[in-house]
Amino acid sequence: MPPTVADVLARARAAFDVLAATAGPVTDELQYLADLETVWVARLRAVAEARGAEPAPPGAEAAIDALEAEAAAITDPHRAIDWMSTLPQVALAALGEAG
Amino acid sequence: MRFMEARPDGRAVVYAHIQSDPLVLRAAELLADASTTQRLLARAAMNGESTDPGRWRTMFPVLFGRSAPAPGDPVRDRSEAILGIALEVADRGEQARSQFRGAIVEALTERLLAERSGPVRRERRILFDGRPAEIHPYDITVERDGAAEAWDCKWGARGIKGDVVHQLDDARRGAADEGERLVVGLVVFDARRSCEVRLVRERGPVALEGLKLVALEGLDRLAGRRPA
Repeated sequence: MPPTVADVLARARAAFDVLAATAGPVTDELQYLADLETVWVARLRAVAEARGAEPAPPGAEAAIDALEAEAAAITDPHRAIDWMSTLPQVALAALGEAG
Repeated sequence: MRFMEARPDGRAVVYAHIQSDPLVLRAAELLADASTTQRLLARAAMNGESTDPGRWRTMFPVLFGRSAPAPGDPVRDRSEAILGIALEVADRGEQARSQFRGAIVEALTERLLAERSGPVRRERRILFDGRPAEIHPYDITVERDGAAEAWDCKWGARGIKGDVVHQLDDARRGAADEGERLVVGLVVFDARRSCEVRLVRERGPVALEGLKLVALEGLDRLAGRRPA
């Protein structure tokens, strides 16, 4: 059964959480990390509510595989913070959504 | 209000070599006419771990997937060229790539602004009567009588800091005190949502109405175009 948009977004959220855990040691940016989580989780949730039951578009599942692999490969906490901004945008682009 | 050449310090001399590197100029040229998704690809790959182009093509099905323009199409060729140059930047090592990314955002901003207005200058100070000059020059200025602009360029939202916001706001108020108009703003090669939350926390007492924020999705506004 092909994945739905909600499936892809759930995996994007999990990959986002991996980045947040990697970024955690940068304690002087805790407020920014919390702010990023607030705005991006809300955006992912809004798309899931609007389109969650739709089948994911072609290529989206493979895109999220690649995104997960990239997120898992990031060990530098500062780069992880940068990626917390980029990953949701890339996941949304794979679904044909604007950031 | 008057603009003045900044006296280069040691850092500026080193950085000038990076600013004039052909890699920076090629990246700015490609990104100037890129779509938002192509610019997002550049941001992701320049800041990524993987240097395998296959992974990045898979990550961006809209640019490289089955429904994307075919190889040989100018849009597809631009996507491939952007990916190639982004991976070249990523391959420079951590410190160098950080400098290259900053220089690319500045060069891109300069190019886009020049499409709409001019003259566009780099690394300039702005002086006001009776006010001490700021230490740091502005990255990009548009020195047009009656329609001057000052921009600071940042690779990511984390570069938005209180001192940068205050300096821009001081310049805007200095111009207003002299009866002149100076548009001030930040150009950030990052998602607008991330920039907005950062700016709200860092602005302190600065009123955001007087400060323009141009994020990755809206870069075409600098050129007077509608976002792609």
